[in-house]
Amino acid sequence: MGRNKTHGHVVVIGGGGSGAAILHDLIQRGFTATLIERGELTSGTTGRHHGQLHSGARYAVGDRDIARECMEEVLILQKIAPQSLEMNYGLFVALNEQDYAFGDQFIEACHESTIPAKDIPVARALEMEPLVNPAILRAVQVPDGTIDAWRLPLQFFATARAGGAEIHTFTEVVGITSAHGSVTGVDVRELSTGRESHIAADAVISATGAWAGKVAALAGAHLDITPAPGTMVSVKKRLNNMVISQLHPAGDGDIIVPQRGLSTIGSTQWHTDDPDRITVPAEDITYLMKRGAELIPAFADTPFHAAWSAARPLAGAATTDADGRSLSRDFTALEHSHDGLKGFISVIGGKATVLRAMGEQTVDVLCNLMRVDEPCTTATTPLLSHRAMYRQDLGEVPAPASAVTGGTV
Amino acid sequence: MSNNSVASSTPSVTTPETASVTLRVARPQRQEQWQEYIVPVEEHFTVVDCLEYIRGHLDPTLMFRHSCHHGSCGTCGMIINGRQQLACLARVSELEQPITVSPMVTMEHIGDLAVDPTPLFRHFPKKADYLRPSEFNRESVPPEEVGQYQRFENCIECGLCVSACPVISQDQFMGPAALAAYNRELEKNPHRGDELLPEVAGADGASRCDRHLSCSAVCPTGVYPAKHIAQLQKKIRQWQS
Repeated sequence: MGRNKTHGHVVVIGGGGSGAAILHDLIQRGFTATLIERGELTSGTTGRHHGQLHSGARYAVGDRDIARECMEEVLILQKIAPQSLEMNYGLFVALNEQDYAFGDQFIEACHESTIPAKDIPVARALEMEPLVNPAILRAVQVPDGTIDAWRLPLQFFATARAGGAEIHTFTEVVGITSAHGSVTGVDVRELSTGRESHIAADAVISATGAWAGKVAALAGAHLDITPAPGTMVSVKKRLNNMVISQLHPAGDGDIIVPQRGLSTIGSTQWHTDDPDRITVPAEDITYLMKRGAELIPAFADTPFHAAWSAARPLAGAATTDADGRSLSRDFTALEHSHDGLKGFISVIGGKATVLRAMGEQTVDVLCNLMRVDEPCTTATTPLLSHRAMYRQDLGEVPAPASAVTGGTV
Repeated sequence: MSNNSVASSTPSVTTPETASVTLRVARPQRQEQWQEYIVPVEEHFTVVDCLEYIRGHLDPTLMFRHSCHHGSCGTCGMIINGRQQLACLARVSELEQPITVSPMVTMEHIGDLAVDPTPLFRHFPKKADYLRPSEFNRESVPPEEVGQYQRFENCIECGLCVSACPVISQDQFMGPAALAAYNRELEKNPHRGDELLPEVAGADGASRCDRHLSCSAVCPTGVYPAKHIAQLQKKIRQWQS
């Protein structure tokens, strides 16, 4: 296996966006790595993402740091994974006087977060997006876009696999083993055969999002995670090319993301105990269709396509330790030495747009723990095509067909 | 600006139903081969919603591929009541019961409803661009930073066309998804003709299509692979002459 020549073998639990980026980062920094996912890749929360590539504008008023990080990652993703992005920018539109008034602090907060937000005359905004509600009072342009929520993580997985990572899907972690205060590996069960085996590891990273509490419990650790599902609704036509958001503090049903031939409105949010038992509340569909029509009136007359829910992980009390382990306010890689599990790390929170940064920050924590001095290179390493996951010689990514990859900001 | 009317095909939500449906699920690698489950549903439920219910409430070992739940990723292709479909778009209220669900054919079976889609990519062209100019709202004028709106290709690489193609199961054939990808790439980059056309001009290439049109019938995103194969045949003839 050549593991002696590496910095160690790491098992990553969870095949979502975080797991994808962590796996890729581990390989880039000279670890060997094995990813375990109980179902298909991105079958938990990541794949059901509504697909917004966040410039950070949505977060800027509330948290400049998160907004700045989003903007940085948008610029990086355009370089390393342009084939998984529709980089068509976004408009924040004011539907009422209150929204209009919010615009000034919104633009100021964006600028303080390096986001090139700019007021656009309403008439010009309607040229950009002819189906947007013509009664809008104000429009602000930001560099938002759309992510292919399946193919972007797949690009990370494909690149990691080409670098030697092992990826086991339909394999469930049934135990996390430890000895003398350190994690020693995981017990896994193949779903197709029921066969159980042990995988030894120098470190184990749980990148299981809303399931992180359940996985930490396997190791005897306690983690407060609140699964917070939200519903999204798609209609059968692409009504907009830019992401259309309401110019107000973030709320329910205020973003319409275009993707391929569809438009999707998101989202609602509620809390649940069990992320394995979420369904789509019927009333959410009615509510979101109505909200969609406020931003784009044609939304109401466009045939319904699909409704689905995804369980976001909301960090609970366990992530508020002020002990320096917290890496940012929206995302934490929590190291479990205090639980007698040195080498076990739980990843909590995060956003699809910043998946690469989550991988970097998590592997930074691991490197610090294992006294490994390897710089992160993922911000400058182009990813292989998503198709390389299935045929490695399809990995080369074509040059963009036209000059459109978002321009500079 | 609120508007309470919703499209007629939006699922009815005034009286949430407490009906149940019976699913007959193939489990080829297990002793039982088939298993029946009864699932409580509402009108908007899809087959994927039912499979998630089964895994969450009745049987955590059930294997199926799924990701986006809205027909964008292409992972949940299955044979539902005899027809290749995406499980996330197959509404149970529109399906006859018991709903019979089995894995796609011509792929490598992993377990239960899950397949490995690797065969789908066996004949794909290299460096095929996954982005295309957006044709929606043609009259619009994009931001100067964008120049031209872009979007992902229609093909979500779900493999339904490959599973439905009667030729692939009997003969060497590159298959509808790969050939459609070749034609799309040539439409966008005609200068690649000398490189790509020889790869589809062989006996297992575009000429092997028997025009069953099953591929176009099952395609969930309107790619119409049979149309692309016909166009490719024409391109090959022109190139050969």
